[in-house]
Amino acid sequence: MDNIELLESYNSYLQEQKANGKKIIAYLTHDNVPIELFEAAGFVPLPLIFAGKDELMDASHSYLPPSTCSYAQSCIGYFSSTPRTHEFLDLADYILLSNHCVSNICVSEILSNNFNRKRLDFYVSYTRNSNALKYYKLELKHLQKEIEGITKERIPDHRIKEEIIRHNNFKTIVEQVSKLNIPGSEKLDIYQKAILYGPAIQAEIEEIISSYKSNTKNTNSTHPKNVIFTGCSIFINDYLMDLIEDAGGNIVLFDTWIGRNYYSQTFSEEVIASLNDPIDLLTKRFENNVYGDHCVPDSLDNKIVFLENYVNEYHKKYGDKIGVINHIIKFCDHFSLFQSYFKEKLQERGVQVLNLERDYSRSIKGQLSTRIEAFMEMI
Amino acid sequence: MSIFTEDIVNFRSVLQLAYNFLAGRDYLKKKKFQERKKLISVALPFSDLVFASGAVPVFPIRMEQFKVHSYLTALNSATNLIGWNLTTKLLSFVRKFDVLKILDTVLDDVIHTINDKYNELYDLGIDHGISSDFCYGITGLTGMFVSKGKNLDANINFTIRCSAWNKYSETLKQFVPRQIWVDIPPRNIDNALELLTDNVSQAISDLEEITGNIVSDNSLNKQFRIGNQIKRFYKTILYEFSASDFYPCNPATFSEILALLGLSYQDYNSDNQRYLESFSYLVKEMRERINKGIGMDVSDMPRILLTPVFGGWEPESHEILYELGARTIYADWEILNLLEEISVSKNSNPVEEYAKFLLNATTRGIGYDQEALTDSYIETAKALNVDGLVFNQVFGCHSISNCYSLLRRKIRNKLEIPTTVINFNKIGDNVEQVKTRLGAFMEMF
Ligand code: SF4
Ligand code: SF4
Repeated sequence: MDNIELLESYNSYLQEQKANGKKIIAYLTHDNVPIELFEAAGFVPLPLIFAGKDELMDASHSYLPPSTCSYAQSCIGYFSSTPRTHEFLDLADYILLSNHCVSNICVSEILSNNFNRKRLDFYVSYTRNSNALKYYKLELKHLQKEIEGITKERIPDHRIKEEIIRHNNFKTIVEQVSKLNIPGSEKLDIYQKAILYGPAIQAEIEEIISSYKSNTKNTNSTHPKNVIFTGCSIFINDYLMDLIEDAGGNIVLFDTWIGRNYYSQTFSEEVIASLNDPIDLLTKRFENNVYGDHCVPDSLDNKIVFLENYVNEYHKKYGDKIGVINHIIKFCDHFSLFQSYFKEKLQERGVQVLNLERDYSRSIKGQLSTRIEAFMEMI
Repeated sequence: MSIFTEDIVNFRSVLQLAYNFLAGRDYLKKKKFQERKKLISVALPFSDLVFASGAVPVFPIRMEQFKVHSYLTALNSATNLIGWNLTTKLLSFVRKFDVLKILDTVLDDVIHTINDKYNELYDLGIDHGISSDFCYGITGLTGMFVSKGKNLDANINFTIRCSAWNKYSETLKQFVPRQIWVDIPPRNIDNALELLTDNVSQAISDLEEITGNIVSDNSLNKQFRIGNQIKRFYKTILYEFSASDFYPCNPATFSEILALLGLSYQDYNSDNQRYLESFSYLVKEMRERINKGIGMDVSDMPRILLTPVFGGWEPESHEILYELGARTIYADWEILNLLEEISVSKNSNPVEEYAKFLLNATTRGIGYDQEALTDSYIETAKALNVDGLVFNQVFGCHSISNCYSLLRRKIRNKLEIPTTVINFNKIGDNVEQVKTRLGAFMEMF
């Protein structure tokens, strides 16, 4: 299914949900969102995971200076530019404002104020110390109350827990995709779709997995340039994946929000059984999110250690020394600032890194392609 | 001779503040090596806990070697020996300068010296690998750590809404292994204050461990009292003197004083008592000068609030505005609610009072969202009763600089004063554009 088809079917899905009286909550924030809480209340989460382009970025400039990350700019463009490319965004009733990064705050606020979407706030502490966990809990309870105020119905604990379990199972299935011997682009399509729909498409993903499991084709041999992809996510409709594969690259691990950071945030059965209060479970997930880029002061170091280990394990298993593409959306506070430190630290450990910084303009495509090709030749 | 004497006697406090800022390196060396004090870096005005612990807070640029104007050096060595009284020797030295312009010249030189150093450190930050897409402030600060970070014993970080700031703070461990964190909850809900109070206590324990000192309620309250007095003086300058129709000096020099206060307020030039004394002299001197009619009638000059400048700004701006007939006010710390006093009442818990101060500053001043931040701009502009507002849009700032469109709308609806935006990337880069913009802006008056 290509992206047009995906978006069309998503449009129908949301229309259907809306027709059934469901409320839709759109959000930019990349991590730590308690989607289960929304679903338990009968809301439909709408993650804004769509890539940008020149027109969309331009359309944001009456709200934000051009030195804002191009993803954030494009999110405004999706709501403000005409003709609308993603009409289903009009179906969103609410915007979740969260502080994953400050651009998330600003854009959510702009969308809420200028495009007439009610705003729900969900702030997350900047560390994961014990008080930060308590604070996370406060915010969860606050959000729960706000949602209950809208629906005029209490969300029973068991409903939240059911959703947590449902999402947990779903993520475990999605994780299996990461182990399939298929090209990175196909994995990415599945991850993007999984985040868009959530457990509603579990059966479909299970089917895909079983069909691929019988596939014995070795992707590694047809794409010898295996790489890990980290940094900012690849959003729907981005051409970047094509550039990487056209240059002979194959992504074996998406170490990004759309990818490992999504499917790896699961609980063991013991943990689920041991924590009765669903709010405690959601808090536990935040506590365990050691690689999430929202928090300081250790997430980067944790990531570096993880990547080094992954590269070494991979080397032991397949004999290949894989490189790392660090994708940086221009003006991203989280990944741009660190880029030279990140590269230096991994290179000291013998891992080759390409810092690939870009915006969503068409004009940059040729340059990206050249840089990716040069990197592929190097590894 | 009378003007001559007035010019030295008056504003000696400003000159002392300037000297103490620039001569930080020697002072800090003495503190570190002779007095065995711990040096702890701070940025933004969050030095209270460090002072209370008996360590020395340092805004890191002050570890640099600056070229100090010979007048300041002479004045300082003379005053070290004989206090601030004038001696024939000093007077004969001072006679070499154009006495009527001495304050203007020296302060101008000080601001340029600091800014040249800032640019140098900005370049060092870029050489170190900070992308030029980031704000001048963060890049310059990184340069400061590259240059002199090794002299520090620890660094104290406060989380704020600006994600670049938090991430930059995370990088500091490569220069200073010991990091103290105060995680400020993003907004004030339920018992957020209690959680922050606990985080502050944790930071205090870290400071105790580093310094080997006990931080008592008394030491905290003592520091808050000093801080409160400084804040009162600072507000007097902002609200009383800057609003006066008669200035104790040339308005461009007045702006330079405000710029110097803004910079030095971050670490009180590493000595809270000395800083308080200078501030108190400054207020006294300004008042005396105004009362005696020494200075300049500025009643026909519109008052322009230029903000934000703490992340970097074009220091020529106030000169340009002055030439265009306006006076410039710098009041970032007031806008960000960082000049609020901390309660030291008898039954208060000082740790909790400090947490209240932090929470108020981050939720109302810095703002947990753009609405709160722009409200704070409007409130301050109203309270200062300024005639116009120039918004300094710092390239690469995603937290404050991008609120201009919202702010402009609010100014139109609520204040109805002229406003404009100037862009800033690096000192000296954009002076012509700033001139043009400010020229057009001033035509509105
Ligand atoms: S890409 Fe970076 S700056 Fe942009 S919204 Fe995501 S984390 Fe924030
Ligand atoms: S608020 Fe803006 S100027 Fe200040 S540190 Fe953050 S990005 Fe830089």
